[in-house]
Amino acid sequence: MKRKKIAIVVAALLIAVSGGIYFYYGFLFKEARNIETEMPDFSITAAKLIEDYSSNPEKANSLYLNKTIELKGLVTKETDSVIVLENSVFCLFTQKITQKLLNNNTVVKGKCIGYDELFQEIKLDQCTINKQNN
Amino acid sequence: MKKSFINLFAVLLIITVTTNGSAQKLITKTGNIKFQASMPTYEDVSAENKSVSAILEQSTGDFAALVLIKGFRFKTALMEEHFNENYMESEKFSKATLKGKISDLDVSKITNTSKNFTLKGDLTIHGKTKPVTLLVKVSKAANGVNINGSFEVKPEDFDIEIPNLVRKKIADKVKIEYNFSLIK
Repeated sequence: MKRKKIAIVVAALLIAVSGGIYFYYGFLFKEARNIETEMPDFSITAAKLIEDYSSNPEKANSLYLNKTIELKGLVTKETDSVIVLENSVFCLFTQKITQKLLNNNTVVKGKCIGYDELFQEIKLDQCTINKQNN
Repeated sequence: MKKSFINLFAVLLIITVTTNGSAQKLITKTGNIKFQASMPTYEDVSAENKSVSAILEQSTGDFAALVLIKGFRFKTALMEEHFNENYMESEKFSKATLKGKISDLDVSKITNTSKNFTLKGDLTIHGKTKPVTLLVKVSKAANGVNINGSFEVKPEDFDIEIPNLVRKKIADKVKIEYNFSLIK
Protein backbone atom coordinates (compact mmCIF):
# COMPACT_ATOMS: atom_id res chain seq x y z
CA MET A 1 0.00 0.00 0.00
CA LYS A 2 2.75 2.40 1.00
CA ARG A 3 4.73 1.58 -2.07
CA LYS A 4 1.76 2.48 -4.28
CA LYS A 5 1.41 5.84 -2.58
CA ILE A 6 5.08 6.65 -3.16
CA ALA A 7 4.75 5.67 -6.80
CA ILE A 8 1.79 8.03 -7.22
CA VAL A 9 3.61 10.90 -5.56
CA VAL A 10 6.70 10.36 -7.68
CA ALA A 11 4.61 10.22 -10.85
CA ALA A 12 2.77 13.41 -9.90
CA LEU A 13 6.06 15.15 -9.19
CA LEU A 14 7.53 14.07 -12.51
CA ILE A 15 4.49 15.36 -14.38
CA ALA A 16 4.61 18.69 -12.52
CA VAL A 17 8.33 19.16 -13.17
CA SER A 18 8.15 18.25 -16.85
CA GLY A 19 5.10 20.47 -17.22
CA GLY A 20 7.04 23.28 -15.58
CA ILE A 21 10.03 22.78 -17.85
CA TYR A 22 7.75 22.69 -20.86
CA PHE A 23 6.07 25.93 -19.79
CA TYR A 24 9.40 27.58 -19.11
CA TYR A 25 11.20 26.70 -22.35
CA GLY A 26 8.29 25.96 -24.65
CA PHE A 27 6.31 29.07 -23.85
CA LEU A 28 7.95 31.75 -21.72
CA PHE A 29 11.43 31.52 -23.17
CA LYS A 30 10.72 29.89 -26.46
CA GLU A 31 13.26 30.88 -29.06
CA ALA A 32 12.11 33.35 -31.68
CA ARG A 33 10.72 31.93 -34.90
CA ASN A 34 13.05 30.14 -37.19
CA ILE A 35 11.70 30.59 -40.68
CA GLU A 36 14.19 28.20 -42.20
CA THR A 37 12.60 25.20 -40.51
CA GLU A 38 8.99 26.35 -40.92
CA MET A 39 6.75 25.03 -43.63
CA PRO A 40 5.58 27.82 -45.96
CA ASP A 41 1.97 28.97 -45.65
CA PHE A 42 1.99 30.07 -49.28
CA SER A 43 3.96 28.89 -52.23
CA ILE A 44 3.48 31.35 -55.09
CA THR A 45 5.36 33.24 -57.77
CA ALA A 46 6.95 36.59 -56.98
CA ALA A 47 4.86 38.13 -59.76
CA LYS A 48 1.64 37.05 -58.02
CA LEU A 49 2.79 38.61 -54.73
CA ILE A 50 3.65 41.87 -56.48
CA GLU A 51 0.29 41.88 -58.23
CA ASP A 52 -1.58 41.30 -54.95
CA TYR A 53 0.31 44.10 -53.23
CA SER A 54 -0.13 46.59 -56.06
CA SER A 55 -3.85 45.93 -56.46
CA ASN A 56 -4.79 46.03 -52.77
CA PRO A 57 -1.99 46.46 -50.20
CA GLU A 58 -4.28 46.11 -47.19
CA LYS A 59 -5.82 42.88 -48.35
CA ALA A 60 -2.39 41.55 -49.27
CA ASN A 61 -1.10 42.47 -45.81
CA SER A 62 -3.91 40.59 -44.13
CA LEU A 63 -3.09 37.61 -46.30
CA TYR A 64 0.70 37.52 -46.22
CA LEU A 65 1.99 39.65 -43.34
CA ASN A 66 4.11 37.70 -40.84
CA LYS A 67 3.57 34.51 -42.82
CA THR A 68 6.26 32.22 -44.11
CA ILE A 69 6.06 32.29 -47.87
CA GLU A 70 7.89 30.59 -50.67
CA LEU A 71 8.43 32.66 -53.79
CA LYS A 72 9.52 31.69 -57.23
CA GLY A 73 10.96 34.36 -59.45
CA LEU A 74 13.80 35.84 -61.43
CA VAL A 75 16.72 37.29 -59.46
CA THR A 76 17.19 40.84 -60.73
CA LYS A 77 19.69 42.08 -58.14
CA GLU A 78 22.06 40.39 -55.78
CA THR A 79 24.35 41.62 -53.01
CA ASP A 80 26.02 40.00 -49.99
CA SER A 81 22.86 39.50 -47.99
CA VAL A 82 20.07 40.61 -50.30
CA ILE A 83 18.31 39.19 -53.32
CA VAL A 84 15.73 41.16 -55.27
CA LEU A 85 13.15 39.12 -57.15
CA GLU A 86 11.38 40.57 -60.21
CA ASN A 87 12.69 44.08 -59.37
CA SER A 88 10.34 44.56 -56.43
CA VAL A 89 10.53 41.79 -53.87
CA PHE A 90 13.33 42.49 -51.43
CA CYS A 91 14.62 39.36 -49.65
CA LEU A 92 17.01 39.80 -46.73
CA PHE A 93 19.08 36.76 -45.85
CA THR A 94 20.45 35.87 -42.44
CA GLN A 95 23.56 34.36 -43.91
CA LYS A 96 25.80 35.43 -46.73
CA ILE A 97 24.66 34.26 -50.11
CA THR A 98 27.31 32.05 -51.65
CA GLN A 99 25.53 31.03 -54.84
CA LYS A 100 25.58 33.25 -57.90
CA LEU A 101 21.94 33.60 -58.78
CA LEU A 102 21.73 36.78 -60.80
CA ASN A 103 19.36 36.44 -63.79
CA ASN A 104 18.37 32.95 -62.71
CA ASN A 105 15.03 31.69 -61.58
CA THR A 106 15.08 30.66 -57.97
CA VAL A 107 12.86 29.76 -55.03
CA VAL A 108 13.24 31.84 -51.89
CA LYS A 109 11.57 31.16 -48.56
CA GLY A 110 11.16 33.94 -46.01
CA LYS A 111 8.88 35.84 -43.69
CA CYS A 112 6.83 38.63 -45.24
CA ILE A 113 7.27 41.79 -43.15
CA GLY A 114 5.31 44.22 -45.29
CA TYR A 115 5.32 46.82 -48.03
CA ASP A 116 7.96 49.51 -48.19
CA GLU A 117 6.46 52.66 -49.69
CA LEU A 118 9.77 54.50 -50.03
CA PHE A 119 11.03 52.09 -52.66
CA GLN A 120 7.74 50.42 -53.59
CA GLU A 121 9.02 47.03 -52.59
CA ILE A 122 7.67 44.08 -50.67
CA LYS A 123 10.08 43.00 -47.97
CA LEU A 124 10.90 39.54 -46.68
CA ASP A 125 13.38 38.72 -43.96
CA GLN A 126 15.15 35.60 -42.65
CA CYS A 127 15.28 34.27 -46.18
CA THR A 128 16.84 31.07 -47.40
CA ILE A 129 17.25 29.63 -50.88
CA ASN A 130 15.10 26.58 -51.28
CA LYS A 131 16.13 25.16 -54.60
CA GLN A 132 17.36 26.40 -57.90
CA ASN A 133 15.44 25.84 -61.08
CA ASN A 134 17.57 26.88 -63.99
CA MET B 1 9.76 72.64 -87.22
CA LYS B 2 10.96 75.20 -84.78
CA LYS B 3 8.31 74.16 -82.27
CA SER B 4 9.32 70.53 -82.41
CA PHE B 5 12.90 71.57 -81.82
CA ILE B 6 11.85 73.47 -78.72
CA ASN B 7 9.87 70.45 -77.58
CA LEU B 8 12.87 68.21 -78.08
CA PHE B 9 15.02 70.66 -76.17
CA ALA B 10 12.49 70.72 -73.34
CA VAL B 11 12.42 66.92 -73.21
CA LEU B 12 16.21 66.80 -73.14
CA LEU B 13 16.26 69.38 -70.38
CA ILE B 14 13.76 67.38 -68.33
CA ILE B 15 15.78 64.20 -68.80
CA THR B 16 19.01 65.85 -67.65
CA VAL B 17 17.28 67.45 -64.69
CA THR B 18 15.69 64.19 -63.53
CA THR B 19 18.87 62.16 -63.96
CA ASN B 20 20.74 64.83 -62.05
CA GLY B 21 18.10 64.68 -59.38
CA SER B 22 18.35 60.95 -58.93
CA ALA B 23 22.13 61.11 -58.78
CA GLN B 24 21.80 63.35 -55.74
CA LYS B 25 20.00 60.71 -53.73
CA LEU B 26 21.74 58.42 -51.30
CA ILE B 27 19.83 55.34 -50.29
CA THR B 28 19.96 52.24 -48.16
CA LYS B 29 17.59 49.31 -47.81
CA THR B 30 19.51 47.50 -45.13
CA GLY B 31 19.72 50.12 -42.42
CA ASN B 32 19.84 49.04 -38.83
CA ILE B 33 17.61 50.01 -35.91
CA LYS B 34 17.93 48.62 -32.39
CA PHE B 35 15.82 49.47 -29.46
CA GLN B 36 16.37 48.90 -25.81
CA ALA B 37 13.57 49.04 -23.24
CA SER B 38 15.09 46.98 -20.44
CA MET B 39 14.93 47.80 -16.78
CA PRO B 40 17.82 46.89 -14.52
CA THR B 41 17.48 43.43 -12.89
CA TYR B 42 14.62 42.44 -15.21
CA GLU B 43 14.95 40.48 -18.40
CA ASP B 44 16.36 42.06 -21.50
CA VAL B 45 13.74 43.81 -23.65
CA SER B 46 15.41 44.65 -26.91
CA ALA B 47 15.09 43.97 -30.61
CA GLU B 48 16.87 44.63 -33.84
CA ASN B 49 15.76 45.31 -37.39
CA LYS B 50 18.24 45.04 -40.23
CA SER B 51 16.03 45.94 -43.16
CA VAL B 52 15.33 49.64 -42.68
CA SER B 53 14.92 51.78 -45.80
CA ALA B 54 16.21 55.33 -45.92
CA ILE B 55 16.72 58.08 -48.49
CA LEU B 56 18.81 61.21 -48.18
CA GLU B 57 18.60 63.98 -50.72
CA GLN B 58 22.15 65.33 -50.72
CA SER B 59 21.44 68.79 -52.05
CA THR B 60 18.61 69.69 -49.68
CA GLY B 61 19.24 67.44 -46.67
CA ASP B 62 15.77 65.92 -46.91
CA PHE B 63 15.73 62.61 -45.14
CA ALA B 64 13.15 59.82 -44.99
CA ALA B 65 13.31 56.45 -43.26
CA LEU B 66 10.82 53.63 -43.09
CA VAL B 67 10.92 50.56 -40.88
CA LEU B 68 8.58 47.59 -41.02
CA ILE B 69 7.54 46.61 -37.51
CA LYS B 70 7.30 42.90 -38.28
CA GLY B 71 11.00 42.95 -39.07
CA PHE B 72 12.05 43.51 -35.46
CA ARG B 73 13.59 40.38 -34.01
CA PHE B 74 13.57 39.58 -30.31
CA LYS B 75 15.33 36.85 -28.40
CA THR B 76 12.14 35.06 -27.44
CA ALA B 77 9.03 34.31 -29.47
CA LEU B 78 6.66 35.42 -26.72
CA MET B 79 8.21 38.87 -26.46
CA GLU B 80 8.04 39.31 -30.22
CA GLU B 81 4.40 38.26 -30.20
CA HIS B 82 3.48 40.68 -27.42
CA PHE B 83 5.38 43.48 -29.11
CA ASN B 84 3.54 42.93 -32.39
CA GLU B 85 0.09 42.10 -31.11
CA ASN B 86 -0.36 44.04 -27.87
CA TYR B 87 1.88 47.08 -28.11
CA MET B 88 2.62 48.01 -31.71
CA GLU B 89 -0.47 46.38 -33.27
CA SER B 90 1.59 45.75 -36.34
CA GLU B 91 -1.26 44.15 -38.27
CA LYS B 92 -2.90 47.57 -38.29
CA PHE B 93 0.18 49.79 -38.21
CA SER B 94 2.73 47.86 -40.21
CA LYS B 95 5.39 50.56 -40.32
CA ALA B 96 7.08 53.43 -38.54
CA THR B 97 8.48 56.38 -40.46
CA LEU B 98 10.66 59.41 -39.99
CA LYS B 99 10.50 62.26 -42.47
CA GLY B 100 12.53 65.38 -42.02
CA LYS B 101 15.34 67.65 -42.99
CA ILE B 102 18.95 67.72 -41.87
CA SER B 103 19.85 71.39 -41.66
CA ASP B 104 23.06 72.86 -43.07
CA LEU B 105 24.16 69.55 -44.52
CA ASP B 106 26.87 69.86 -47.15
CA VAL B 107 27.85 66.36 -48.19
CA SER B 108 31.00 67.55 -49.95
CA LYS B 109 32.38 68.81 -46.65
CA ILE B 110 31.71 65.61 -44.71
CA THR B 111 34.85 63.83 -43.53
CA ASN B 112 35.65 60.47 -41.99
CA THR B 113 35.21 61.82 -38.48
CA SER B 114 31.54 62.10 -37.71
CA LYS B 115 30.00 65.51 -37.31
CA ASN B 116 26.78 66.39 -35.53
CA PHE B 117 23.78 67.79 -37.36
CA THR B 118 20.22 68.54 -36.39
CA LEU B 119 17.36 66.74 -38.00
CA LYS B 120 13.92 68.26 -37.70
CA GLY B 121 11.00 66.19 -38.76
CA ASP B 122 7.99 64.04 -38.02
CA LEU B 123 8.20 60.66 -36.40
CA THR B 124 5.28 58.30 -36.96
CA ILE B 125 4.92 55.22 -34.78
CA HIS B 126 1.76 53.21 -34.12
CA GLY B 127 -0.17 55.47 -36.49
CA LYS B 128 0.58 58.58 -34.47
CA THR B 129 2.80 61.42 -35.69
CA LYS B 130 4.93 63.65 -33.47
CA PRO B 131 7.38 66.38 -34.40
CA VAL B 132 10.93 65.58 -33.30
CA THR B 133 14.33 67.23 -33.29
CA LEU B 134 17.17 64.74 -33.37
CA LEU B 135 20.92 64.96 -33.22
CA VAL B 136 22.38 62.90 -36.05
CA LYS B 137 26.01 61.98 -36.63
CA VAL B 138 27.12 62.07 -40.22
CA SER B 139 30.42 60.75 -41.51
CA LYS B 140 31.88 59.90 -44.87
CA ALA B 141 31.88 56.33 -46.18
CA ALA B 142 32.88 54.68 -49.41
CA ASN B 143 30.46 55.86 -52.08
CA GLY B 144 28.22 57.71 -49.67
CA VAL B 145 27.69 58.71 -46.06
CA ASN B 146 27.04 57.06 -42.73
CA ILE B 147 24.26 58.39 -40.54
CA ASN B 148 23.89 57.16 -37.00
CA GLY B 149 22.75 58.22 -33.59
CA SER B 150 20.23 57.47 -30.93
CA PHE B 151 17.18 59.02 -29.32
CA GLU B 152 14.56 58.20 -26.76
CA VAL B 153 10.81 57.97 -27.10
CA LYS B 154 8.06 57.48 -24.58
CA PRO B 155 5.56 54.77 -25.50
CA GLU B 156 2.63 56.82 -24.18
CA ASP B 157 3.45 59.65 -26.61
CA PHE B 158 2.46 57.29 -29.40
CA ASP B 159 -0.62 55.88 -27.68
CA ILE B 160 1.12 52.63 -26.83
CA GLU B 161 -0.36 51.35 -23.61
CA ILE B 162 1.69 49.19 -21.32
CA PRO B 163 -0.37 47.15 -18.84
CA ASN B 164 0.32 47.65 -15.15
CA LEU B 165 1.38 44.04 -14.80
CA VAL B 166 4.51 44.53 -16.89
CA ARG B 167 4.93 48.25 -16.25
CA LYS B 168 7.94 47.68 -14.00
CA LYS B 169 9.71 45.51 -16.56
CA ILE B 170 9.62 47.99 -19.41
CA ALA B 171 11.51 51.27 -19.36
CA ASP B 172 9.54 54.55 -19.43
CA LYS B 173 11.82 55.76 -22.16
CA VAL B 174 12.73 53.45 -24.99
CA LYS B 175 16.17 54.02 -26.42
CA ILE B 176 16.36 53.75 -30.19
CA GLU B 177 19.69 53.41 -31.95
CA TYR B 178 20.03 53.67 -35.70
CA ASN B 179 22.75 53.20 -38.24
CA PHE B 180 22.39 53.81 -41.96
CA SER B 181 25.11 53.45 -44.59
CA LEU B 182 23.69 55.41 -47.45
CA ILE B 183 25.17 54.91 -50.89
CA LYS B 184 24.52 56.16 -54.38
